Amino acid sequence: MSFRLKLMLPLLAVFTASVGYPLLYAFYLSLTNYKITARYNTRLVGLKQYIATLQDPNYWNALQVTGTFVLLAVFIEFWLGLFIALALQKQKRIRNFTRSFLLTPMFVTPIAIGLLFRFLLHQQLGVIPTFLDKFGFSYDFFGPGKALYSIIFIDVWQWTPFMVLLLLAGLEGLSRSPFEAAKVDGASAFFTFRKITLPLLVPVISVAVLIRALDAMKVFEYVFAITRGGPAIQTMTIQYYTYQTGIQFYRLGLASAMSYLLLIIVMVIVVILFKRIESTRKNP
Amino acid sequence: MRKLNKVAKLAAISAAVAVVLAGCSSSSEETATDTGAAAGAVSGTVRVLMEGVPDTDIVSGLLADFNAEYPDVKVEFETASYDQMRDKYVASFTAAEPSYDLAILDNPWVGDFAKAGFVQPLDDLIAATDGYDYADFTAPLRAIGESDGKVYGVPFYNYALGLIYRSDLVTAEPATLDELAATAKSLTTADRAGIAMQPQKGYKAFEEWGNFLFAAGGSIYTDGKVKLTTPEAKKAMETYIEMYKSSAPKNSLNWGPDDALRSASSDKSAMLVSYNWMLPKLNNPDGDSGALAGKFKLAPIPGGKQVLGSWHWAIPTNSNASDAAWAFVSWISSKSGESKRVTAGGAPTRTSVFTDPAATAKDPDYLATILKILSNAEPLCQGSNCDEMITAVGTEINAAFAGEKSVDDALAAAEEQANKIQAE
Amino acid sequence: MTTLNSTRFKPTWTSAGNSLLILMALSVFLPFLWLSLGSFKTGAQLNNPALLFFKPTLENWKEVLRSGVLESAYRSAIVGLVTVSLSVVIGSMGAYAISRYKTGGSSTRFGILAAQVLPPAVLVFPFLEVSYKFRLNDTLFAVIISHLSFVLPVITWFLIGFFDAAPKEVEEQALVDGLSRFQAFRKVVIPQVAPGIGAAAVFGFVLSWNDLFYALILAPGNSATLPVKIASFNTFRGVELGAMCAAILVAVIPVLIVSFFIQKRLVRGISGGAVKY
Repeated sequence: MSFRLKLMLPLLAVFTASVGYPLLYAFYLSLTNYKITARYNTRLVGLKQYIATLQDPNYWNALQVTGTFVLLAVFIEFWLGLFIALALQKQKRIRNFTRSFLLTPMFVTPIAIGLLFRFLLHQQLGVIPTFLDKFGFSYDFFGPGKALYSIIFIDVWQWTPFMVLLLLAGLEGLSRSPFEAAKVDGASAFFTFRKITLPLLVPVISVAVLIRALDAMKVFEYVFAITRGGPAIQTMTIQYYTYQTGIQFYRLGLASAMSYLLLIIVMVIVVILFKRIESTRKNP
Repeated sequence: MRKLNKVAKLAAISAAVAVVLAGCSSSSEETATDTGAAAGAVSGTVRVLMEGVPDTDIVSGLLADFNAEYPDVKVEFETASYDQMRDKYVASFTAAEPSYDLAILDNPWVGDFAKAGFVQPLDDLIAATDGYDYADFTAPLRAIGESDGKVYGVPFYNYALGLIYRSDLVTAEPATLDELAATAKSLTTADRAGIAMQPQKGYKAFEEWGNFLFAAGGSIYTDGKVKLTTPEAKKAMETYIEMYKSSAPKNSLNWGPDDALRSASSDKSAMLVSYNWMLPKLNNPDGDSGALAGKFKLAPIPGGKQVLGSWHWAIPTNSNASDAAWAFVSWISSKSGESKRVTAGGAPTRTSVFTDPAATAKDPDYLATILKILSNAEPLCQGSNCDEMITAVGTEINAAFAGEKSVDDALAAAEEQANKIQAE
Repeated sequence: MTTLNSTRFKPTWTSAGNSLLILMALSVFLPFLWLSLGSFKTGAQLNNPALLFFKPTLENWKEVLRSGVLESAYRSAIVGLVTVSLSVVIGSMGAYAISRYKTGGSSTRFGILAAQVLPPAVLVFPFLEVSYKFRLNDTLFAVIISHLSFVLPVITWFLIGFFDAAPKEVEEQALVDGLSRFQAFRKVVIPQVAPGIGAAAVFGFVLSWNDLFYALILAPGNSATLPVKIASFNTFRGVELGAMCAAILVAVIPVLIVSFFIQKRLVRGISGGAVKY
C-alpha cells in the first residue's frame, strides 16, 4: 500500500462511518414513514415526505426565518468584528488581557448564553427591562416582530468574538511592505484601509464569513432556550423546526426529508458562491 | 410480551395469596383499606423519573410509610424538568437496558405510548389487587389513562385548572366569562394588572384558552373531531385577546405559569388561571408571596367547566421490576395512600377522598372546590398525537394573540391542523 | 506586527477604537456580573433584578454541585478529549497526504468543507436510529461518533493549511538523512506544525464541548453532557433561576480560564497558515 494511501485510510474510514453512512441512511429514512412511537410499522413511502415538506408553509417559513437570521447576524458580526479587530490590533497596553476577555463569549456553550439572555431580557426578572423602565422605555424583547431581532442580538453578542479572532489573525498575518509603501506615499488612513487592507484581507474575510454563515444556519440553542419558535412561528428556525418534527412529534422520516431538502438547498448556494469566489480570484 | 404475562400471573398469584391472608385478619374499619400485592413477597428496586412539583415531594415523604409495609421494595426517585422527562422516558423505553422501572405519564402521552407498546396494560394487575376500587377514581381521570379499552395508567395526581384570585380584592366570584372580563378590567390599576395571563405559544396558550372556551359554552371536540370554528370559540378568543390588551401585565405575551405566579405573588396581578394545587403554594407563609400569603382563594372557572390535566402511573413494557413497581403504585394510589397524600397537600384523584375525614380536616373549602372542579373537567386532547395537536392549536392561538392572524383564520387553521394530525 | 499607519491616524480613530473596546468589554462583563450576583440570591431576592446589596446564600451552589452538573462536565470533557485526540491523529495523517500529495485535488478540500455544511439535523436522525439498533442510545459512544462528524473535518481542514505553509525542505532533508517517510512525518513535520495543531485542537475541543443538539438527542438521560444538563435547568413550568445562574457559571468559569491562557497561541496558531484558502 502506498504511503499516501496509508495516511488517508483512517480519515476515509472515519469519514465514511460518521458522515458518509449517516448521510445515506438519512436518505433512506426520508423515504420511509418512520415514527419513533411506531418503529415496527416502518414502510417505504417513496417521495411522500418530500412532497409533504415542499407543501408545508411552516417549512418555507422556517427557511425564511433562518435566512433572515443568517444574513443580518453575519453582516453585523463582520463589520463589528472588523472594527474591533482593527482597534485591538492598535492596542499596545494590556493586550493579552483585553483579547482573552473579549473572546470569552464564543467559548461558552450557546445554551448557557441563551438562558443567560432569557433572564437578562426577562420582563419581570431581567436587569435590562428594569433599567429601561427607569427611563420610561418599555420594550418587549421577545414579543411579536421583535423576538427574531433579539435572537440576532444574542448571536452577535456571542459570535462577534469569533470574527474578531479570525480577522485579527488575518490582520497580523499581513506583510508590512504594502503599508510602509503607502505611508511613504502619504496615503490617508481611510485610503489605506479601503485599497490595501481590505483587498489583502479578502481571503481571510471570505473564510471567516463562510464559516460563520454555515454555523449561523444551525442556530438552535437560543430558540430552544427562549422562544421555542414563538411568538407564533416568528423565530422557528429550520434546525428547531426539524428537531420539533423529528423528536417532539416523533416523525423521524419526515424530519429526515426536511433536513435533506435543506442540505440540497445549502449545497446549491455554496457551490454558486464558491464558483463566484473562484472567478473573482482569477479575475480580480 | 411473554414476560408481561409471567409478571401478571405472578402478581395475580401473590395478590390472591394476599387476599386470603387479609381475609383472615380483616379489620372492621369503614375507611380506606390497604391494598396491593402481598407485602413481604415482593422485592426489587424501582427506579422512576419524576417532575419537580409539590406532589413529588409529598410522595417521597410517604416512602417511609410504604417501606413499613413493603420492606424489600426500594423506590428510587430521580427528578427532571418537564421537557427532559419525556425524552428520557422515550430513551429508556427504546433502550435495551431500561433506566426506569416505573413511569409517570402526562395525559397527552398516554395514547401515543400505549399504541407504541411502551407501557403495559394494567387491567390484570388491577383486577388481581383486592380492594383497589379502580372505579373510585373520577371518571374523566380514568378515561385519560385508558386507551383502546385497556388501562395503561392509573391516576397519580390531577392538574385541573381553576381561577385563583385575591380574596381581599375580589368581592364576588365571577360566574360567567363576561363577568370575568369585567372583574379583571375593574381590578386593573397602574401598579397591578387585573389578571396575569399565560398566552405562551404551544401547550400553555391552549391550556389557558381552553378554559375560556369552556366558559363561553364551547367545546374542543364535537362528534369525535376537533371543531373550533364555532361562535363560542370565536367569542372565547375575542374575549381572551381583549382581556390581554386591557387587563394583563404589560409585555406578557410569552408568559407561562411561573411568570404568572411570580406576578401574582409579588402583588403585580390580582387573579390568574392556574393549576388548582398552586393555591397552597401561593398561600404558603414561608413561600415567595410574603405578606400576601393566605389571601388567595380558588374558584372554578366561570361557567363551571375547566381544562383537566393529569399524571398517571404506568409500568414500562421493558421494566426490570414490574411487580415491585405495581406494589408501589397500588399502595400510593390506593384509598389509604390517596388519603395520606391529599392530607399532606397532594392533588386528589379519587371520589372517596372528598369524604375522607383526615383529608378534609385541614381545608374543607378548598377540597370542596376541587371536587366541583374535577366533576366537570375535560382534557385538551383525546386520542393519538396529542403533543403535536396541542402544540399546533397553541401556536395558532398565540398567532391570533400576536395579531398575526385574524381570530377566524387562526381558529380555522387550528381546527384543520388538529384534525389532520389526529387522523394519522 | 503590522499596524495601520500610526502617524497619519487622527486621534479620533484611536479614541473611537478605544471607546468601542470599552463598550465591548462592558457588554461582555455585565452579563457575567449579573450571573455571579444571581447565583448567590434567593428566589425572593431574584424577583428584584436591580438588587445589588443583599445577604448572599450558598443554597444555589450547593444545589448545583449536588445536581450532577460536575459529572456532566466530566463527561463533556471525556467526549471532547476523545473526539479531539482521534481527530488530530487521523486528521493530521490525512491532511499531510492531501497537502503534500494533493490527494484528490481541490475536490477533497471542497468535500471536507462540505462536511461542515451538513446541517446536524440531517445526520442526527440516522445516528439515533443506528444507536437504537446497536443498543448504544444514551451512551457517550454515540455522542463521540456524532461529534467526530464535525470536529474531524474542521481539524483536518485547518491542518491542511498548516501543512501547506510548512516548507518541504525540512522533510526532504530528513529523508536524505535516512528516516522513513512516516518517521519524517512524525519526527520532523509534526513538531513544525505543533502550534497549529494546538490551535486546531483547542478549536475542536470547544466545538465539541459546546454542542447541545447531538447530545440532547443522542444522550438525553444518564449520559448527559454539560450543555444538556444546563438545558435541564430551563423549565417551562418552573424555573430555578439562582441554581441556573450557578450552573451556567460552572460551565463558563473553566472556559474563561482556558481562553485566557490560549488566546495568544490561538491567534498565532491561526495566523500561522490555516486562514489561507
